[in-house]
Amino acid sequence: MGVQLDLLINAIVAGILLGGFYAAVSVGVTIAFGMLDIANISQPAFILLGSYAAYIANLYFGLDPILTGIVMMPLFFMLGMAVYRLYYFAFERRGEQAIQGLAFFFGLLFVGEVSLVLVFGVDYRFVTTAYIGPSFHIGIVEVPLRMLVPCVFSLIMVGLVQLYLSRSFIGRAILAVSQDRVALQLMAASPIKIKQIAFGISIATCAVAGSFLIIIQEVEPSIGRDYIGRIFAICVLGGMTSMPGMLVAAMLLGVVENITSTFYGPSWSPAVAFGLLLVTLAVRPSGLLGRQ
Amino acid sequence: MRNRVFWTILVAVGLIFVVVSRLTIANDYFYFAGYVVLQYIVLSTAWNILGGYTGYTNFGTGAFFAAGAYSSAVLQKLPALLLATLQWKIPPVPLPIMILAGGIVSGLIGLGTGYLTLRLRGVFFAIATLALSIVMQTLIVNWGFVGGSRGFYAIRPALAPLGGSYIQYLFTLMVLLAVIAVGVARSIERSRLGLGFHAIRDDEQAAEASGVPTLRLKLISTTISGGLMGMAGAPLPYYVTYLTPTSSFDLQYAVNSVAMPVIGGMTSWIGPVIGAILLGTIQQLATVMISSAANLLIVGLLLIAFVTLAPNGLIGLPRQSPFLFGFRGRVSRRQIWLSFLLPLIGITIAVNVAGLLVEMLQPQIPGVALAQLFSFATLWPQLAVGAKRCHDRGRSAWFLLIGLIPLAGPIWLFIELYCLPGDSGDNAYGPAPEATGTPLAQAA
Repeated sequence: MGVQLDLLINAIVAGILLGGFYAAVSVGVTIAFGMLDIANISQPAFILLGSYAAYIANLYFGLDPILTGIVMMPLFFMLGMAVYRLYYFAFERRGEQAIQGLAFFFGLLFVGEVSLVLVFGVDYRFVTTAYIGPSFHIGIVEVPLRMLVPCVFSLIMVGLVQLYLSRSFIGRAILAVSQDRVALQLMAASPIKIKQIAFGISIATCAVAGSFLIIIQEVEPSIGRDYIGRIFAICVLGGMTSMPGMLVAAMLLGVVENITSTFYGPSWSPAVAFGLLLVTLAVRPSGLLGRQ
Repeated sequence: MRNRVFWTILVAVGLIFVVVSRLTIANDYFYFAGYVVLQYIVLSTAWNILGGYTGYTNFGTGAFFAAGAYSSAVLQKLPALLLATLQWKIPPVPLPIMILAGGIVSGLIGLGTGYLTLRLRGVFFAIATLALSIVMQTLIVNWGFVGGSRGFYAIRPALAPLGGSYIQYLFTLMVLLAVIAVGVARSIERSRLGLGFHAIRDDEQAAEASGVPTLRLKLISTTISGGLMGMAGAPLPYYVTYLTPTSSFDLQYAVNSVAMPVIGGMTSWIGPVIGAILLGTIQQLATVMISSAANLLIVGLLLIAFVTLAPNGLIGLPRQSPFLFGFRGRVSRRQIWLSFLLPLIGITIAVNVAGLLVEMLQPQIPGVALAQLFSFATLWPQLAVGAKRCHDRGRSAWFLLIGLIPLAGPIWLFIELYCLPGDSGDNAYGPAPEATGTPLAQAA
């Protein structure tokens, strides 16, 4: 039984670290989907784009992936604003965002994936940094640095986003847009501009999240799909609009996934996120911390 | 057209198609490629019953399709299993039975997803279907009986029923399935059931309030849609002979079955058929001429282009842009020069130059061929605008056929369409075009 307990504790710790990373991946969708009501299922494609940017910078210039991620943020921000512009003019303005907009993002996801395949092929790519190999031990618990570093930076990022949303004018306007856009309009703020900035932020987080991803695991273009389920499961489970809720949900998913893969084998772990998502959607669509 | 008449014509078309291709084409490649296109007709028609008629987006086509394929796999292994465990001897299950079984299994899964619509609408339903597809893939990967992640070998029977090679047999079955799918879709469209579906699509709450049994209708819609997808998937093991979870749950089935109705048009049965034939054929050609990754890129880009620029698909184009795609009314000589011929020449030159540049920089991409494809796509606007110019001259649109006469035909046509003025005042085809304003003004 002792060995089992070891395994369990290790799985929980690793799960929490993984959950920290999942939080970074899900911030963007919590903003886009939860707050702006834009079902951006192409988010994983942008995350992978971030991963490959980190990969190139690491391969040719030996840059640290997280640094690359942070440097790339403004570029991703602008990309996000451009995508929102297109989305707004093609769908939101006509009030046809439901099916058409969804199909649009679905196409974007697919195009992103196939473009990456065409450019990089289907080989697994990875980065090399000082903190990818080693790990340290606290008692029986093993803490790999390649998990700890992304987790810490991810928590910092989520904290900053939360701070920005709750303290700055534009951040509060973003929250306001999610609650009542007409009221916002009456206060002389343009919902479109606010949403554009918010969507830009949502895509900008992908640059960093992508760099975390390629630190944690080797990356190939089709792994993005697995993240659709995780991201949306976390977003829905977390109650759509709340950052703390999202964080709790991310940790929970990380732990459950890790326990499953420790005790039943990794081939089951993709089903965990999606199964959790299906159950949440069917039983408690308002999320863990949401109002019923 | 009455329903019975339509079914008769549909069956006749299917029959003639099979017989003619069997008699004239011996090359197996035709049947391999045709099978895929037909399979997409079934998938996109099935998708459209739920997505287009009822308004629920399904991203889980792969799940229903693969469920059909894997129920065939189970049925194929069944005789051996029964013999080993219970000493029962049963003959190998014939493929039509497998298709039925696949339809039933996927129909039941569809019924299950139907109950999801009780809680989930719009985006949430779409994400849930995507989730369903991944969950089912994980189950299959971990199910050793059908090969798990290693895959499953299907051994084709030595003799194909109905004569010919086995692929011809599969092709024939797929024609049958396409006929069934299209017939069912059209029957639904013209029935009370279809009206109910449309009511749900347009406003589910209002439909519910006016006494439409929304849950029952949604369950019917998801079941039929899922069942047809399963039937399309059932022959897959025999088509590929080596079935893996990754290939049978491939995202491209989902993307294609969304893209084809969107490109063809989701409001009518003909939309998915047009979309499937067009996109399916382009993909087959692109796979041969460029690469299989490039053909997926084409699908994705076309999906994005159509959903942003032509949200009602090809069949919605005449209404969306009557000047370029409609065949009614008149177009003046001034309009055809300024709004059609000159822009068309400019764009054609630009596209060809771009294609040439691409081909010079990346020799493996046939840029010039793609530019030709664009010219082919302008055929419809050419016919539409030409027809309206004929009308302007008081002639029927059939006059365009004169262009088929070698040498003299095109010259005559050019003089008629581009040089001579139209009738002054009203004629049989409508009022004089300048009076109703320029096409730009009409569009605005």
